[in-house]
Amino acid sequence: MNLATNMNWIGLYTLVRRDIERIFRVPTQIIISPWISALLYIFIFGYVIGGKIDLIAGVSYISFVFPGILMMNIMSAGFSHSAFGIYFHRFAKSIEEILVAPLSYGEILLAYIIGSIFRASIVGAGIYVIAILFGIAQVEHLGLLAFYIASVGTVFALAGMIVGLWAKSFEQLGVVGTYVITPLSFVGGIFYSVSMLPERVQAITYVNPFFYFIDGLRYSMIGVSESNRLIGVIMIISLIVSLFAIVWHLLRIGWGIRT
Amino acid sequence: MNALEILHLTKEYGSNVAVDDLSFTVKKGQFFGFLGPNGAGKSTTINCITGVSRYVKGDIKLFGIDVNKDYRKARRLVGLAPQEFNAEIFASTEKILDYMGGYYGMRKDERAVRVDELIEQFGMNEHRKKQFRELSGGMKRRVMLMRALIHDPDLLILDEPTAGVDVELRHELWDHLRDLNKKGKTILLTSHYLEEVELLCDTVVIMNKGKIAETGTVKDLTKDGTLEKRYLQLTKDELGD
Repeated sequence: MNLATNMNWIGLYTLVRRDIERIFRVPTQIIISPWISALLYIFIFGYVIGGKIDLIAGVSYISFVFPGILMMNIMSAGFSHSAFGIYFHRFAKSIEEILVAPLSYGEILLAYIIGSIFRASIVGAGIYVIAILFGIAQVEHLGLLAFYIASVGTVFALAGMIVGLWAKSFEQLGVVGTYVITPLSFVGGIFYSVSMLPERVQAITYVNPFFYFIDGLRYSMIGVSESNRLIGVIMIISLIVSLFAIVWHLLRIGWGIRT
Repeated sequence: MNALEILHLTKEYGSNVAVDDLSFTVKKGQFFGFLGPNGAGKSTTINCITGVSRYVKGDIKLFGIDVNKDYRKARRLVGLAPQEFNAEIFASTEKILDYMGGYYGMRKDERAVRVDELIEQFGMNEHRKKQFRELSGGMKRRVMLMRALIHDPDLLILDEPTAGVDVELRHELWDHLRDLNKKGKTILLTSHYLEEVELLCDTVVIMNKGKIAETGTVKDLTKDGTLEKRYLQLTKDELGD
């Protein structure tokens, strides 16, 4: 029997549907909050402060920072969706509904990835509308834009699953976002060009994967890049493959979910 | 035919042996009582049968199907109403049932019919749109039972299904369970209400400290008195008497 016929498609669809319905059950928290946050970033850093800054990498400051703000929200949405989703189901024990059902690890994993990408896309689409209002909406390479949103969303969905399986409290759940995602995003070149940094700090930036995520999206939107994009793509694919293998293994051994 | 066959099941949590070389069978159509004091290993065994817990020692088969090797087929044959409420608290009664039907691969039209049927059968029409957290304890128990039945399983596992419900609802649930058994469902019931077990079950296993202390028909176990008396004799060490 091949993979397609062996899949529990209705089960997978139900998992995704349940996740998406959860998003729309609390839209102010999940969707509108990141839109407002992005609006403030764009207005203050891009419009108010950026208005006093000359061109950066040949484009206006607001156009330069916008892809970074967008990517930061995509990463955060992808991560939060799976991390909070899994943790909450563990916390309420409703994860057992899934464990007793005829669903494979692959289907569970895929459902969280699809849900995360969906949430990241909704958040991203709203932020793009804000960019239209500021007259900075631009897409140079649509295919690449879709690739970066989907692939980086997947990376953070998988990372979120690991944290969701690991966390033993809501406090632990927030640790990775606060101490890893936000700082690495900020030093990943959201608000500045890497050429503005001292050489030694530049070298550190080049080993920060977040720099490649942000730079890749910036290239797909405004055609400006400061990194070797091939390295970025290899890094993203490697992260997806390795994180996928880790999550698969954790689900298989029942880490954090099966006693 | 055996609905459930457990052979040499051992489940350890670190150095604690929760289930120790357990073997028993439940025949198709039986109303089977699975008894024991807290910590005897009942819930652990149930978790191993249904996939909530992993096990490495022993074999479990549902209607001849290995629950590890062919988990998809096996899980479609069993429905679990757990001891603890484990539904999504913000989802409504009908959503909980609809999601569960979906996980079991039921089509939308099939699910709609089945959800309506169960809601009607369990008198939950007024509460179908209410979130799980808004329901009373008794209503939540009904939802657990309805959810276990959504895919029309052949074996129903009920872990303390009447815990914390009032007398009226308990009798109502007994009627439902008797009816289901009459319709051919095999039922494995755990309960601390021994009169309930005596009333409903035909065969019983009494566990103590992860092992079987006694097995037999209710008739045999009650020939010298009540089931409660026999139960206390077998588990008195555990109870500290």
